[in-house]
Amino acid sequence: MPPLPDPNSVFLNVPYDEEFRSLYIAYIVGLCQLGFVPHLASEIPGGDRRLNKIIKLIQSCRYSIHDLSRIELSTTPSAVPRFNMPLELGMTITWANLHPSRHTWFVWESEPYRLLRSASDLNGTDPYIHNGTPEGILRELCNAFGRGFMPSVPKMLENYQWVNHFLEAMLYKHGTRNPYDRSVFMELCYISKLLADLTRLSGPAS
Amino acid sequence: MRKPIHLTFPPPTLEEFEKHYRISKARKKELLAMVEEFKATLSNQDETPVDLIEPEKRRKSASAA
Repeated sequence: MPPLPDPNSVFLNVPYDEEFRSLYIAYIVGLCQLGFVPHLASEIPGGDRRLNKIIKLIQSCRYSIHDLSRIELSTTPSAVPRFNMPLELGMTITWANLHPSRHTWFVWESEPYRLLRSASDLNGTDPYIHNGTPEGILRELCNAFGRGFMPSVPKMLENYQWVNHFLEAMLYKHGTRNPYDRSVFMELCYISKLLADLTRLSGPAS
Repeated sequence: MRKPIHLTFPPPTLEEFEKHYRISKARKKELLAMVEEFKATLSNQDETPVDLIEPEKRRKSASAA
């Protein structure tokens, strides 16, 4: 049996594509603002079988967010559907069904009712609809979780804009254009946490 | 109407948070410096980079001027 999950850790199951970049950053900023520790499959180093490491990562997190808003085929010449996200959601559901007190999962979508067509087996699951905007992500995070200290959505959006501003320097530093890169992801989390603490210290939600 | 999950445990401290990610001490200092710069900018709103000011705020400040 794996050790108990970290109560503040959230596994983020999102598409790693350029179009999703702003929403990805909004998830990181929003989760850090709410006092969570985001985790992503891309933070897993190479080596052993990747799937086993992803399962371990899911098991180490108390919550997971599965964003199924990008169900379109990839834009590469040999377009293929993306199965990683549904695969990771399936693994998570199995784990949560076996140990409901250890894990809670959420499905997020950009359009209402589409989930009924894309994954009808999830009928009865109420997805969080973010409308494909960073503001929508931040709003829905506040709808999903509550803490003693809750920053306002505009305040979170302000920090999101700052993290976006810092991102270019991080990408340059690591010689990449990929914000999902392991090092960049970790730095995005770290700087989001610094900003979140600053917001918390600066007083009540504005 | 679904209710949010109310979290009763405290958020992690920076030290607890750091344990989850591998970032060198030197790089942490650099990132902290970026945030310090952010703080300084906040204390002097005139220096806020234009691309970070929401259009609505920009309109308001322009009309006030």
